[in-house]
Amino acid sequence: MYLRSLILATALLILLLSAGIAFQRGGRFPFREDDEGPLALPPDANEKTEWAFARLRYPQYRGEGLGRWWSARGHWTVDYPKADRTFVQGVRRLTRIHARSVEQVVDLDSDEIFNWPWIYAVEVGHWDLTDAQCKKLREYLLRGGFLMTDDFHGTFEWEVFTASMKRVFPDRPIVDIENSDAIFHVLYDLDERFQVPGIYPLMRGMTYEYDGIEPKWRAIYDDKGRIMVAICHNMDLGDAWEWADHPEYPERYASLAYRIGINYIIYAMTH
Amino acid sequence: MFEFFFNCSPAAFHKGNWVFLAGWPWWVFALALMAMGVALGALGLRRGRAKLGFRWILITLLQLCAAAILLLLLWRPALIVPFLKPHQNVVALVIDDSRSMGIAERDGTRIEQAAKKISGRFLNDLKSRFQVRLYRFSSSLEPISALETIRAQGVATRLSPALRAIAAEAASLPVGAVVLFTDGADNTGGVDPGTLAALRNRKIPVHTVGFGRERIENDVELTGVQLPERALPGSRIEAVVKFRQRGFSGRSAKLIFQDGKQTLATRELQLKGEGDQQSVTVLLRVGDAGAKDVQVSLEPLPGEENTLNNYCVRPLLVESRRPRILYVEGEPRWEFKFIRRAVEEDPTLRLVTMLRTTQNKIYRQGIANPKELEEGFPSKPEELFAFQGLIIGGVEAGYFTPAQMELIREFVNRRGGGLLFLAGRFGLAEGGYAKSGFAELLPVTLPDKKQTFFRDPATAELTPAGRESLICRIEEDPQRNFERWKKLPYLANFQETGAAKPGARVLVELQAPGHGRYPLLVTQSYGAGRTALLATAGTWRWQMQQPLEDKSHEAFWQQLLRWLVSDTPGPVISSTPTPVAYDDGAVRFQARVRDLHYLPAMDATVEAHVTGPEGVSTVVDLQPDPLEGGIYAAEWSAPKPGSYIVEVVARRGDGEVGRDAFTFRREDGTAENFRREQNRELLEKLSEQTGGRYYRPHELDRLVSDIQYSEAGISVRETKDLWNMPAVFLLLLGIKGAEWLLRRKWGAV
Repeated sequence: MYLRSLILATALLILLLSAGIAFQRGGRFPFREDDEGPLALPPDANEKTEWAFARLRYPQYRGEGLGRWWSARGHWTVDYPKADRTFVQGVRRLTRIHARSVEQVVDLDSDEIFNWPWIYAVEVGHWDLTDAQCKKLREYLLRGGFLMTDDFHGTFEWEVFTASMKRVFPDRPIVDIENSDAIFHVLYDLDERFQVPGIYPLMRGMTYEYDGIEPKWRAIYDDKGRIMVAICHNMDLGDAWEWADHPEYPERYASLAYRIGINYIIYAMTH
Repeated sequence: MFEFFFNCSPAAFHKGNWVFLAGWPWWVFALALMAMGVALGALGLRRGRAKLGFRWILITLLQLCAAAILLLLLWRPALIVPFLKPHQNVVALVIDDSRSMGIAERDGTRIEQAAKKISGRFLNDLKSRFQVRLYRFSSSLEPISALETIRAQGVATRLSPALRAIAAEAASLPVGAVVLFTDGADNTGGVDPGTLAALRNRKIPVHTVGFGRERIENDVELTGVQLPERALPGSRIEAVVKFRQRGFSGRSAKLIFQDGKQTLATRELQLKGEGDQQSVTVLLRVGDAGAKDVQVSLEPLPGEENTLNNYCVRPLLVESRRPRILYVEGEPRWEFKFIRRAVEEDPTLRLVTMLRTTQNKIYRQGIANPKELEEGFPSKPEELFAFQGLIIGGVEAGYFTPAQMELIREFVNRRGGGLLFLAGRFGLAEGGYAKSGFAELLPVTLPDKKQTFFRDPATAELTPAGRESLICRIEEDPQRNFERWKKLPYLANFQETGAAKPGARVLVELQAPGHGRYPLLVTQSYGAGRTALLATAGTWRWQMQQPLEDKSHEAFWQQLLRWLVSDTPGPVISSTPTPVAYDDGAVRFQARVRDLHYLPAMDATVEAHVTGPEGVSTVVDLQPDPLEGGIYAAEWSAPKPGSYIVEVVARRGDGEVGRDAFTFRREDGTAENFRREQNRELLEKLSEQTGGRYYRPHELDRLVSDIQYSEAGISVRETKDLWNMPAVFLLLLGIKGAEWLLRRKWGAV
């Protein structure tokens, strides 16, 4: 009985310490700003625009514990909202798209998603869609919606991602996007692409996470050869957007991330 | 009897002119009448009869009337009547021997009735006064020697050529009058103005004698079928079918459209008012490219007298061309993507797009080669005129140079292209269109202000014109279509516009809560082309907010863009004025040839390659019209009944300017199946317009005496006094008798 209580108390202590460490801000990282705190709304936050950064909120993989910080908050929120808003500033400056300054969170539980024909899903290596959500996503994509996924790495997260995606499109293959595809040329010519790292591996001097060494630009096409789902695997464009304004995040990564993101949006608005 | 009372026949009154032979001035008449009135009034007052009120007034008026009539007779009224000099004039008896005259009536066929009437006393009476010539006509006029040879075998009734031939004979013969024996079942739509003018110039009266029933019981007849002569593959066309019936009111009939054995459409019709013309519009899907014969038929009803008038064939050319539309868009937006997707579903249209993705970059899609539009929006006619349609999205007017603006106007006005304006935050009033060259092209008057584009929800509602328009036909049935539009998801945005210009058609209106009601879709003709305005860039919600199976968005855009370009011609436009040539294969080929700038090409060589039934194949040279540059024409005779396809090719030197095709059809022996009732209205009108009269067969005796009153041929004028008409004396007697009776009744007057 005593031993059992001791084990439980120790486990609880370890858990609390882990959470405490996880919630530490700054500390050992050179990046003073974080991506989880609330940001002040810009004055034009309520402007009605043609396009907004629509971030998909999804239920996450049930086999995952609370061992990771993001598991508690929800993986869909990674880099939110700073990445969204920083990226939108670039969209506004570099294109003629009438873009809203703040993001829009959408989910697959209501029909509101059909008002946002471009959506972004982060950390989809942790998502776990219900059957109803899979059905709605399929309908959304076939009607003309566009999904961009980002920031998931390695074999395990790929399998988690495809587990849901295969239920969205059981009969459509996921294929590598050819260099000649319009999505890499619609605004910027992106023949030379490289892995865009997140901040954590970058601090460790790496550009990859887990076994995701090679960046993959993949897609699911519709019957007319148009990309419906653009899959950025083994890269972290979201971090590159988020930290693009930080002098220590390499410009070349941020620049490529912006170009890819903008190309994907314009592709979604033209195809 | 009439002549006894009035000294002349009604025909003399009809043809004659009134005159007053005394020649005294009319002011004398007025003065005398006034003096009489004053005298009668004064007399009555003096005798104190004014106190009797209206009785005295009535008696005085009767006395005044009698005095006025007597006074008028002093002016010697008379009638000057032209009449034909006996034995010096020719009367032409023209008998219709078309097949419809062979229809059996109660007393034999119509032609038998006519022959019987003519060969009796009528002919002898006429011969006693005039030289009589007999003619027969159906398609053309021919003299005949005897009535016995005449048979109702003509395959068509053409009044105009027959009457023109008579008018031509009058140049060398003293033709005093024409008597036409016919049922009036003309197959050419009546007597043309040229023929009427020729008859009137020679003052030849055409008297008509109508044979046949004026209404046939128990019959349904197709009275008209209107189909476009060309269409794009897979498109929908409107067929307007007119019909009428007698004896089947309240019943239903089935209307069937077929292309060979393939049924294109069917429609149940409710037969309404007896003899009333009904009309129905049916949408047809035309299918693949090629020349087609669309057969239109009304299923025969039990007991129908004539089933041959339930069927007709119309030629239709489904062209293999694939028009190109240039869409220039000022900013990336969802409408652009979904318009592109809608058009991609349509194999007949090609959309070439220019999108300003950034301030200095244009993204081109659908281009024919990497060089196309490389320099931006076209600035040369041959570049822009290579397209059939143009869409201007959210682009500010200042983006276009003045030369480009003028080129766009010429694209519509001269080239005959279609131009569609879309709403946007840089478009219409926001883009300065109200003060640019676009203002003239727009089908609405734009407000001269900013802040007209709103990203607020708006709903669309069909106007009465929109309910009729093919552009807005999402559902086949008009009523269901109207309801369907009401249920469409709201638009994502809209733009305020002003009122539609005169002649423009508002097809759809938008209703925006808190803003009001504005035209949403407006179309108009402009020069040789057409322009339209869609005051939203938010129809994409119709695609995203409705199930995948719903095709409202695609159908709307495909129909709108087909309307935009389907009538845009190429450099060569060929046609014939007679797409269906009845019984006579004579057709005229016409071609308008223009160069790359769509200016008349006057030095072209133009050939028509004709392919017809049973291996008919020939090449016909078209000759330039000396009066109008760029127009070429030729006359040709189709040797066999059936459908023909004509491909017209124009060349300049070794190069081809362009080519175009059209179809026509020669129909033999079918015209007489239609309009088999006596067309009394046509005959009465013909007589009235030429100074003749319409007669029924039993009124021929009257015709013998009336026919002499004519100004044609060798005629003289006779003056007939009217002052001594018994009718006048009877009238005077009646007035005085009435006065006497009133005086007796009222005693003291």
